[in-house]
Amino acid sequence: MSDPKSGAGTFQTKAPTKEPEKKDEEHLSEEDLALKQQLELYVERIQDPDPGLQKVALESVRHEIRTSTSSMTSVPKPLKFLGPHYGTLKAFYETMPESDLKKYLADILSVLALTMSAEGERESLKYRLLGSEGDIGSWGHEYVRNLAGEIAEEFMKQQSEEAPIEDLTELVRQIVSFHMKHNAEPEAVDLLMELQVDDLELLVQDVDNTNFKRTCLYLTSTARYLPGPDDMLALDIAYTLYLKFAEFANALQIALFLDKMQYVSQVFTSCDNLLRKKQFCYILARHGITFELDDEMAAEDDDREVLQDIINNIKLSESYLILARDIEVVEPKSPEDIYKAYLLDGRASAGASVDSARQNLAATFVNAFVNAGFGQDKLMTIPSDSSSGASSGNWLFKNKEHGKTSAAASLGMILLWDVDSGLAQIDKYLHSNDKHVIAGALLGVGIVNCGVKNHCDPALALLSEYIGNEDSSIQIAAIMGLGIAYAGAQNEQICSSLTPLLNNARTPLDVISFTAISLGLIYVGSCNEEVAQAIIFAVKYRSESELGEPLTRLLPLGLGLLYLGKQESVEATAEVSKTFNEKIRKYCDMTLLSCAYAGTGNVLKVQNLLGHCAQHLEKGESHQGPAVLGIAMVAMAEELGLEMSIRSLEHLLQYGEQNIRRAVPLALGLLCISNPKVNVMDTLSRLSHDTDSEVAMAAVISLGLIGAGTNNARIAGMLRNLSSYYYKDASLLFCVRVAQGLVHLGKGLLTLNPYHSDRFLLSPTALAGLVTMLHACLDMKAIVLGKYHFVLYFLVLAMQPRMLMTVDENLKPLPVQVRVGQAVDVVGQAGRPKTITSFQTHSTPILLASGDRAELATEKYIPLSPILEGHVILIENPEYREDS
Amino acid sequence: MSTRDKPNQQEPDSERFSSIKTKNKYRNNYRKNKLLFLFFKPKEQKKNTHYKTPNPKSRILSRSIPNSNPIMLTVIVKWQKEVFKAVEIDTSQPPYVFKCQLYDLTGVPPERQKIMVKGGLLKDDADWSTVGVKQGQKLMMMGTADEVVKAPEKGPVFMEDLPEEEQVVSLGHSAGLFNLGNTCYMNSTVQCLHSVPELKSALVKYSHSGRSNDLDQTSHMLTVATRDLFGELDKSVKPVAPMQFWMVLRKKFPQFGQLHNGAFMQQDAEECWTQLLYTLSQSLRSPGSSENLDTVKDLFGIELASRIHCQESGEESSETESVYSLKCHISHEVNHLHEGLKHGLKSELEKASPALGRSAVYLKESRINGLPRYLTIQFVRFFWKRESNQKAKILRKVDYPLELDVYDLCSDELRKQLEGPRQVLRDEEGKRLGLKANEKSSGSKDDDVKMTDAEGSSNASGESSVTISQEGVPSDKETRLTGIYGLVAVLTHKGRSADSGHYVAWVKQESGKWIEFDDDNPIPQREEDIVKLSGGGDWHMAYICIYKARTVLM
Repeated sequence: MSDPKSGAGTFQTKAPTKEPEKKDEEHLSEEDLALKQQLELYVERIQDPDPGLQKVALESVRHEIRTSTSSMTSVPKPLKFLGPHYGTLKAFYETMPESDLKKYLADILSVLALTMSAEGERESLKYRLLGSEGDIGSWGHEYVRNLAGEIAEEFMKQQSEEAPIEDLTELVRQIVSFHMKHNAEPEAVDLLMELQVDDLELLVQDVDNTNFKRTCLYLTSTARYLPGPDDMLALDIAYTLYLKFAEFANALQIALFLDKMQYVSQVFTSCDNLLRKKQFCYILARHGITFELDDEMAAEDDDREVLQDIINNIKLSESYLILARDIEVVEPKSPEDIYKAYLLDGRASAGASVDSARQNLAATFVNAFVNAGFGQDKLMTIPSDSSSGASSGNWLFKNKEHGKTSAAASLGMILLWDVDSGLAQIDKYLHSNDKHVIAGALLGVGIVNCGVKNHCDPALALLSEYIGNEDSSIQIAAIMGLGIAYAGAQNEQICSSLTPLLNNARTPLDVISFTAISLGLIYVGSCNEEVAQAIIFAVKYRSESELGEPLTRLLPLGLGLLYLGKQESVEATAEVSKTFNEKIRKYCDMTLLSCAYAGTGNVLKVQNLLGHCAQHLEKGESHQGPAVLGIAMVAMAEELGLEMSIRSLEHLLQYGEQNIRRAVPLALGLLCISNPKVNVMDTLSRLSHDTDSEVAMAAVISLGLIGAGTNNARIAGMLRNLSSYYYKDASLLFCVRVAQGLVHLGKGLLTLNPYHSDRFLLSPTALAGLVTMLHACLDMKAIVLGKYHFVLYFLVLAMQPRMLMTVDENLKPLPVQVRVGQAVDVVGQAGRPKTITSFQTHSTPILLASGDRAELATEKYIPLSPILEGHVILIENPEYREDS
Repeated sequence: MSTRDKPNQQEPDSERFSSIKTKNKYRNNYRKNKLLFLFFKPKEQKKNTHYKTPNPKSRILSRSIPNSNPIMLTVIVKWQKEVFKAVEIDTSQPPYVFKCQLYDLTGVPPERQKIMVKGGLLKDDADWSTVGVKQGQKLMMMGTADEVVKAPEKGPVFMEDLPEEEQVVSLGHSAGLFNLGNTCYMNSTVQCLHSVPELKSALVKYSHSGRSNDLDQTSHMLTVATRDLFGELDKSVKPVAPMQFWMVLRKKFPQFGQLHNGAFMQQDAEECWTQLLYTLSQSLRSPGSSENLDTVKDLFGIELASRIHCQESGEESSETESVYSLKCHISHEVNHLHEGLKHGLKSELEKASPALGRSAVYLKESRINGLPRYLTIQFVRFFWKRESNQKAKILRKVDYPLELDVYDLCSDELRKQLEGPRQVLRDEEGKRLGLKANEKSSGSKDDDVKMTDAEGSSNASGESSVTISQEGVPSDKETRLTGIYGLVAVLTHKGRSADSGHYVAWVKQESGKWIEFDDDNPIPQREEDIVKLSGGGDWHMAYICIYKARTVLM
């Protein structure tokens, strides 16, 4: 908004004063002199009592001003010469009787005020309102800009003084339509936002085919910086605009951002192209929400089935394997391939002759993470017919007790998304007589079904059998499996079978905790009252000693997940949480706050959370951990806030108490998830040698998180050195191993970033999975290093291939050339700016790193999605001509 | 029923199966028909003995068909990646019958089948009407005929479960020794000797009662204490306090008990080493034979053949002796261990000459006539400095190799014996490096070998040949020494005099890794850093080295 004003300012300073003008006169060319005299004559004539003469004079002046074309850097000549007469004309204006002529004069005065009026007077606006209200654009662009600035000032003044608001609407409308016509969409949007966001609807009539894209882009990106609920309104307008111009994919993205399912349905019903609908389904599938198509959205049964299959990610495993084959990473990797101990010099510990249960468990996780989704590995899926049963069972039983749970569940990870063969391979473990193996198999069933919905609901069918099992480890695994498989599904059947557990006084605490988390995941961001009540009940009826248990921290988190990203909706529950036992009250408060504002970038909430971290606690409270994580959760929304919070966390590290320092690495890990920023990497590397072993462990895990799925050589090297540094410390070594597995997640094909579609959309289930894992890591010793290490599998919710796969109309892979480079922010730029920089050209399918953007390098096809990520359907460009 | 038989009814899903599979499918369908048929006519069941008849229960069930008009539903069953289209359900029969049908199709026994119907499992005795299966519905079946995974009979043993002493093995190195007050010289000596497994096993054999008469009480006690200490080192993860050993050592050798300002004094590690080894050599003689068959000599003893020559009189005599270590004398010319050793084998001595009737300077030149399995080398770094009244240290840098060849220090006799094994060793290495080993006869000897050969023969002319002692090279077709030795332990000293500073042992473990035993703190080290302990500064420098013989089987 400052632009119009400063523009006016430059004009004013340049406005000639008397003396220099005299000097100037001497230099005036003949032509100018004639013009000057002419204008002076007109001014005299205007003051003539004869209306006819007046009219002629006014029209002549007007003509002169309008026709004066001049560069933007100097004042147009007529204005310059009329300047000295501004005062006279003003005075004369006051004496004039009401007439058309008076309005005419007002128009001219309004223009003259552009250069002559003192700052803050807003005379241009004043005379404009008194004037004839003719075409605003006829006076030139600069005039309109100045006027817009004055309107905004006026409006602010009116608001602060609570003076009655003058009707500026008509004028605003004119200005907006002028801006919209002249490639100044940001100015138009700014003006309307300055006044009142409701007015944004004015835009809708002025937007046309040529400018709606820029308008919407500006609206969506400014929405991030608007205070609620204005941002929602801005996005609403953008949605309406996209819908109006049939840019359905964009509209769908905004609908998903707003999390309004009726908008999503509207997109489906408004569009009648089946291929486009398929593309929508791909977007929905990546977002990870459960969505059922009905007759209105797809009339044909067969079509609906195909579409629903895409939403249900039925073919995700297939495309992932195509990607793997294309990149040639199908060959399974063993944990040793990841550790690369041979690169370390003699310092690494000698090849242990005896199995260490902890290190085998670490190897299990590394194996699961690295081979995730590939369907084969070197430990678990070796064909069982080789040498009389001495096979996969072997590795499984190289894990100890609860370690077997994670080992059996790792099979689910390896066969991720491939429900058919996954269930077949897990089946045999369900018949084991070892309860840990059964538990692992159940969890594996849940993991295999993560993000994939099958019409037969095999996970529900299998797992619900075990919810009531008398063994708590089996119970926990079944419940957790359900939570992972049905995250975001809001499945009532599961709800009705899980909630009784929370109300049952005899349920063990760990079962309750995992039930709360699973319910939180299944109903993530739903604000479901019933579930909230059940969890609140569970918290309230815990005894004082139970509230001190490490796993209790999952209860408030389960509650928080229900309100993930739902902002104010949390308030009622937050009130209720104030009645909780003192021990958990603040913890719950922080968790709820951070979950509710997760991914919003709300600065006030970040400050609030920082405030909590600034206190020095004496009573050994634990709520600062979630507060630190909360900062990351809220601030991760956009780049600027992210950078700022990284700096704030640095301060917390220096001045914070130990419980804060332990959470800071995890918060950094969340902020830069799968995005190894060098400065964060260095901080974490420093912290990984911290004297406090919990800080070091958190830092090591976070190194894995920021490098997750990137194969980042620098982090891999750091971790390798850490593995020799900590070769004696079994716990830290375990963390290092897990981190190594994460860095090579899916051999570098996967990402944990919950943001997708150009960092615009936040997948709620993915974030929920990450947050759950991080909360569990707040008490590393008791949970991850204890017997609940399988919480690491919550990461599966955030695992997505970081690919661009182009498919043809039959959804078969279609290799095309694409340019991949660093994304450039083009918001508010004129023309058709380049959207990527320092690009390379590759043939799809390709991998996209964080901050990368792709564009087609050929005109032969048209993508159906505006953002080239995940699956993109290409159609042939009818206008394409092969270059001969 | 008719749709099932159309050959072009295949889904793209099943297309990827080979035609054989397809044929199987049809055969299955056929069987299924038969089986279905079976249920209605139980009499014919016998004919199908080929199949494991589900169980008698089905027979009972089929007998009790009340409805004359069973409602037949056709459903699609998905099993793994296969799709069975048009499987018929007789809703008058319990689901168990349906499962038997599927058993026929898939080979999965009914009790292993899990059939999923809209988020629920199909129970064997459920009522079809309550299950709510519709015509054409897709069902999913889970289950395999795979063997159920059983835990191995003998589960693995985990390090975490092991008693503490057994965890050592997995650590990859033995424990450290606590410093009991300036006892680092003793600790490092013990750690170095501990690295000799043969010594360990000899000590284990030594029994309390096995004290021979000529052995004094304290020697016996020291031997027992050494044995116990070695045992403890092997068992413990945590550092060991060598209390007993320390006490006995002081008792046996009172010089180690010297006090200075109320604390025990720092001592020379070499002295401790020599004394300890001497004691052990006394006590570890094999009790069975009266001969001097002692283990320590067997392991460490070096046979030297010396020629003593008096230049004045021209007298010449020769003698043999057995020592436990080779000395590396350090003078200005010595830059390398090899030079120092040569230096150490030449000495001048003054003795009465019978020919001259007075004492004269004799030149003594020694050559190795018998090699041990463990070659001990002492760097003569300390000399008595009268002015300061202490053992001062020579800081000169003397390089030593990881692999030492003492061939040119040997007598001709011994060289001849070494020749064969060395050739074998070279061939083995050549083979390992991918070279051909067939040029044995054509003289593919290394140049340096030839050179040393020539040198040796000229030097050794007229030298008396001494038979090799039995412990040197076993003459049978067994392991034979090659004269090539690999470094296994280094005892280093840091500081300016033998009685001050700090002693540390660097020991190569069986795994090939090097561990620095700095009293109670074992630190892994890199092999390339071991040879850097060669002196020339104030860093740790090698004082005593143990080389282990490289042997070949012949």
